[in-house]
This record gives sequence, structure tokens and C-alpha cells, in this order.
Amino acid sequence: MLVRKLRRTPLFIFHKEHGRLGEYAGFEMPLWYKSPLLEHMSVRNNVGIFDVSHMGRLLITGSEATFLLNRILTNNCARIKIMECQHAFFCNDLGGVIDDVLVFRLDKNVFFMVVNAVNREKDLVWIDKNKDGLDVEIKDLTDKVPMIAVQGPKAPQTLRKIFSSDINKLSHLQCSWFHHDGDKFLVSRTGYTGEDGFEIFIFKDCSEEDALNLWNAILEAGKEFKIEPCGLAARDTLRLEAGFCLYGNELDEETTPIEAGLNFGVKFDERDFIGKDVLLRQMKEGVSRTRVGLRMIGRGIPRKGMKILKENEEIGFVTSGTLSPILRTGIAMGYIPPKYASLGTKLNISIRGRLSEAEVVKFPFYDKNRYGRKRKTEI
Amino acid sequence: MSIIKVGEYEILTGLYYTKEHEWARMEGDHFKIGITDYAQKSLHEIVYVDLPEIGKTVAQMEPIGTVESVKSVSEIYSPLSGKIIKVNEELEESPELVNESPYDAGWIVIIKPQALEKELKTLMTSEQYAEFIRELLKSEEDSI
Repeated sequence: MLVRKLRRTPLFIFHKEHGRLGEYAGFEMPLWYKSPLLEHMSVRNNVGIFDVSHMGRLLITGSEATFLLNRILTNNCARIKIMECQHAFFCNDLGGVIDDVLVFRLDKNVFFMVVNAVNREKDLVWIDKNKDGLDVEIKDLTDKVPMIAVQGPKAPQTLRKIFSSDINKLSHLQCSWFHHDGDKFLVSRTGYTGEDGFEIFIFKDCSEEDALNLWNAILEAGKEFKIEPCGLAARDTLRLEAGFCLYGNELDEETTPIEAGLNFGVKFDERDFIGKDVLLRQMKEGVSRTRVGLRMIGRGIPRKGMKILKENEEIGFVTSGTLSPILRTGIAMGYIPPKYASLGTKLNISIRGRLSEAEVVKFPFYDKNRYGRKRKTEI
Repeated sequence: MSIIKVGEYEILTGLYYTKEHEWARMEGDHFKIGITDYAQKSLHEIVYVDLPEIGKTVAQMEPIGTVESVKSVSEIYSPLSGKIIKVNEELEESPELVNESPYDAGWIVIIKPQALEKELKTLMTSEQYAEFIRELLKSEEDSI
């Protein structure tokens, strides 16, 4: 019998005591603590804290690091200012997404990359394969640098109590070094929920105790703002409601960033990067299928793999679906030909053999004036 | 009717049970069907129940609908073959009733059985289901 031992993050002891555990990407992770819906709403309305240490974290350094990354990433990392980050993709020759990543530039020749947990090993092989002879060193810091996300409109107020009011000076996609209890942390204004928030990297040879101390300190600081620890279930419904892609659902090696509508992560300049030809052609000539948001008009919750139909003709499939806790209705993402993708187009989703009507809507699914990091309502 | 407790799970006496964690209760000529306390606790927060159409004829252990959380979908299997004569429409607005009251307000359908004598023998009694859950919990413990 094959016994696969699941990996655990330094915060496992907390998850085990307070959460419902499940497997994700080879890790034993909390799916939820109190309830997925409550955790979801706590992030939309207040603040939530997530252990995201299962994400892969790579350090790429060396005099030719920029050269290497610009050859294998779709975005131009030479343009990243020091202590900022950008979204980018590793693509194969056909433009298919090997991984979607967040690239931080910590110094001129120091890049720190957050990659998907499911792709970490594949990414390492891909980088190594393309690095031939270049002066670049790659370190996998996944087990050494725990990662905690603090997300929601009250995230700044929570974290300024831990670090300092300088936390407010960070703009979206910027990062900075902070200190707490004599330890050093990298804090970025980034996230995967659609809300304002931060991701914290504990940058030292961190013990379980250090990670737990920070986690508990944030929980304590956030108490007055009704902070909730949140699991992967809420993380998934939050990103889906915000219209963000999940690798393995919306993205895979047969799907390009252009088809996914993620053009902001692709920079067509003088650089030659892997997959550029196909992506450029798709930009010029268009794509045969494109990612859309679908909101249910009829009953039922759309789920991954369900067919999308126009009248009775099958035109695509759902890549992610759930009940939106904010809208209280089924929402989905899926791929369909562009001619059906204009906003307001009525389509059907086949939910266990029954056709239920849905409408093409824009991302995010929620009202941007009321939720999300650009909300207009006073907090 | 009384309650048998196995761990944190409640099992009602006088009902018939399936291995897929549905229950069936005789009400005159008909059977009321729902999911057990163990099932609702495993599913956790139920946000949607997909109900069958009234009048539909189903075979024993054929799926008649789903109970869904934000992340997961579980089929509901009919403990008996027969005709669906009523569905719990309250669940369309309040799916959480299945969590709050799995054996009462959270019932799913009422069925008019077609092969009752033959099929009833294939279902578990409350005592048998309690034993089934006990074994299940034991094997869950062993696997950790």
C-alpha cells in the first residue's frame, strides 16, 4: 500500500485544535474553523487570517537572475521596482500556463517568487531546465518561510498594532521589511480575496513557535475588529467571488493567459520569452475561447466540469462554481467562444441533467462600491 | 421514539437507514425521507438542496437530489423505490433546516413505496445503523 505522508505547516498545531482538516496539494490544511460562510463574510466585512504556508516560495538570485526570469516569465521583471511585485506566468512553447506566480523584487538581483503549491516542484524543474550556465541561484524557501495572509477592510488597523502605522504607507503590490518581537518580516500589500490586505513572510529560520507567536499576536490584535481564522474553503469562495483564477481550474497547460483574460500579466516588448509567439498571435487574431463570469438566474449551484450551453448547443464548460455568500446565488467561471461572451448574454448550465439559466457578468461578482479593496463605503 | 447517541451523532429509533446515511420513516402508506445527523454534520454548512420533481418515479438507491455546501455536493439516495409525492419546499428558502433538524423540519421528500416488503429488509434498523456508525468512527480513528 502506498502511504503518502501529508506535509504540515508550522501552524498545524493550531489548525488541528481549532479546524476541520483536509488535504490540499499534499498538505494537511484547515478547510474551515467555525464555518466557511462566516469566515468568508468576516473577510468581506472585517478581517480574516489565513495560513497560506502551503504556497511555494522561491528565492532567485544572481547577476543574471533578471535575464533568466525575463526569458521564462511573460511579464518584464526588469521593470519591477525594488520592494514591489508583479503578476506573471510561466508559459510553455504553446503559450499554455505552467504556473501563475507573484514576483517580488527585494533587491536588484534578488527575486522572491510565490508560486502555486500544486506547481512548486514542476516550476523548480522548469526554471532549472532553462537556466543553463547562467549565474543564477534558486532556493526553495517553502519550508523555511511561513506565509500568513491577513485580509479584509480591517486588515490595516489590525496589522498597524503588530508592526507600525507605516503599514498604511504600503500601496497595492508594494512590500517592506517590518520588525516584531525582534524578528524580521516581509509584508506585502497583496492577497487573493479581492479585499484590501497583506501577506506576511516570516523571513528567518523560523521555528513553529515563531510562526504561532505571530499568528496568535495577530488574532489578539484583531479581536476588537472581530478577526476570524479562515480556512481554504473561504479562501476559494473569496477568490471566486473576486473573479480570480485558480491553477488547476481556470488555468492549466492547455490554457493561455490571453484566453483567461489575464493580459495584465503579459508584456509584449522587445524581449523574447517562451510562448510569446502564440500569445502575440492570440492578441492580434483573437482567441477561440475566453474566460467569463456567470451568475445564475435559475436554480442550482454550478460546479467544475458542468456544461455551458447556448440554446441546446454545448459551447463550453464551468471551471469553478459555488454559491456566492454575498449574492446568495450560484456563480461560476468558465470558458466559452467570445461571440457568446458579451455581458448580459443568457446561457444555460447543465446541472445534473437539468438546464438552468445563467447570465454573463463582469468580474468581480460583487458590487465594487460596497466590497473589495476599492470599495467606496466608509469602514 | 428515542435517541441513540454514538459519539456526537444522534440516531432516532423507529426509522430505517441506508449505508449512504439516509433515513426513512413510515407515515401511514408513505415514507418520509431525509439525511441523518451524521450526514448533515459531515457536510457541515448546507447552503442548497436540489429537490426532485413531484411525480417522479425512482428506483431504490437512485439519486433523488443533492445537498450542497459551498465547496461540496453530495447525492441523496432514495432508500426505497417508488413515486415522489411531496418535496420539502421549505428547503428552497431555508436549506439550513437540514443542519438544524435533520430528522424533522429538514426532511427531504415523501415517497409512495412500490416494493416495500422486499426493500425494507435491505435497510438497517436504528440499532444496526448505530452499530454501523460505531464501526465507521472506529475505522476513521484507526486511519489517523
